Amino acid sequence: MFDLLNPIAFGFFVGALIFDVIYARNGDVLWVKAAAWLISIGLVVAVVPRLINLVRVWFPGPQRSTGREKAAFFLNLTGVAAAIVNAFVHSRDAYGVMPQGVWLSILTVALLVVGTVLTTLQQSNNYYDRAQA
Amino acid sequence: MNNKKWKTVVPTAVVLAIAAIALGGCSERAVIDPQQQMGKEPVLPAAKNFLIPPMQVPEGVGWQGDAHPTVASGLKIEKIADGLQHPRQLMTLPNGDVLVVESSGPGTEAVTTPKQLLAGLIKKRSGKGAKGGNRITLLRKQAGSAKWEQHVFLENLHSPFGVQLIGQTLYVADTDKIMKYAYTTGADSISDAGSELADLPDTINHHWTKSLLASPDGKKLFVGVGSNSNITENGLAVEYRRAAILEVDVASGASRVFASGLRNPTGLQWEPQSGKLWTIVNERDEIGADLVPDYMTSVQEGGFYGWPYSYYGQHVDERVRPQRPDMVQKAIKPDFALTSHVAPLGLLFYTGRNLPAMYRGGAFISEHGSWDRSPLGGYEVSYVKFVDGRPTGQKLPVVTGFASADEKSLFGAPVGLAQGVDGALLIADDVGNAVWSVTAGSQPPVTK
Repeated sequence: MFDLLNPIAFGFFVGALIFDVIYARNGDVLWVKAAAWLISIGLVVAVVPRLINLVRVWFPGPQRSTGREKAAFFLNLTGVAAAIVNAFVHSRDAYGVMPQGVWLSILTVALLVVGTVLTTLQQSNNYYDRAQA
Repeated sequence: MNNKKWKTVVPTAVVLAIAAIALGGCSERAVIDPQQQMGKEPVLPAAKNFLIPPMQVPEGVGWQGDAHPTVASGLKIEKIADGLQHPRQLMTLPNGDVLVVESSGPGTEAVTTPKQLLAGLIKKRSGKGAKGGNRITLLRKQAGSAKWEQHVFLENLHSPFGVQLIGQTLYVADTDKIMKYAYTTGADSISDAGSELADLPDTINHHWTKSLLASPDGKKLFVGVGSNSNITENGLAVEYRRAAILEVDVASGASRVFASGLRNPTGLQWEPQSGKLWTIVNERDEIGADLVPDYMTSVQEGGFYGWPYSYYGQHVDERVRPQRPDMVQKAIKPDFALTSHVAPLGLLFYTGRNLPAMYRGGAFISEHGSWDRSPLGGYEVSYVKFVDGRPTGQKLPVVTGFASADEKSLFGAPVGLAQGVDGALLIADDVGNAVWSVTAGSQPPVTK
């Protein structure tokens, strides 16, 4: 479930970033309206995978979660927080969204990218450990 | 240990910083004294962008029992019609009958942003978005009685607003076209199927009302057409022939843009002293509780009044792309500010003899009230004195008490104004679904 939903939310935020950059450059409202939907839907889709991640990191059972996993949790959390603020910024009319909208989209995607890299490193580590054992 | 601490402190700080930005951008309350935003030189604060714009919407409850609006001293008010379906505009016919246009928006604006989903719910709460009758009701005073009869005058209209009589022809401005109907003096209904005189801009209809005013010679009709957005968020293409006053030739139906840059000109009137065209305009939202003051202005032929590029002359609106410094330069500063977010929807130059002398020769303005201000602004009928065809002094409240003192409930909201044949000031109330008549006298105390 986590592996299915997590990349969908990430994809929505990346799409919003692309549309925001286009709107910041050409001022055609189609793109900023599309970005507003992508951010809103991305936030809705992010709810379930973020809750799964919260449980996994803070209630891990016998095997304790690593520093990397905790860092990834916080990176994702701040990324989602930035996206929530960005959803409100995108409720402004026309170019009132800019420039904050595009900066918040960059921040959201950057935080999620670093979080994803840490998670991937952890997973490959886990795999390596298991292969050795 | 230090390392671990660092790991919790930094993310927490980032979350707190984002939360602080979020709160900092939240709603503010109006800080400028409304008295400073009336007249020729309104005080204009700097424009601000919000995460959530200033917002306050009282709940529409209607008038309970004998409750009624409050009038200034020397005046009395009575209800002459109720049970109407969202009455918006009034017009007095030469024989003293009063037409009441019952209408609401056509609901053709598509939901194209997540924000519109929420905004629709907020508007519904106030009762302002209630379904209109799409018809005109005729009110006729019974001989020798204070009672007014109601007759269904004209039905199956398409979000009508403006109505005018030229000779024996009645013109009705639906949201998409001007219709004309044969009218016989004394008739209590229209039997004519009607025909189309001219089409009007009707895509989206973000602002759907089409106000209407005939020229004194009966050869032209002036139409106030509102913009298709708050501030171009639907693109510039859909603003063609909008945020403008159109002039329609009555003989041919041909039309042209008479004046532009008027975001939502909801009322048109001839100023009786100068014979000039005047309009009331609803200005843009979401850049502050004290921005932008709505206004009343004389209208010059070919004049450009700023929307969307600027407001009050050369105050540039940064939300518009592309920016147009050439248009900003051309923008005419309006004549008289009415304070921010009062939403003027009715204008009447009073030429009657019934009301006390202080109300003669000036303009009554009905202020429907807006969602984008806290505390509430408007929700009253006010008066501006005119001397030699120019507004002077401050705007005075005349009919008040449409919202409760705690600003939580909305009993009524004033829209169209008209002058009765007896000189009464008539007020359409689309939340109370009533028509009020204000005359000289003193108000009897409310019986409980």
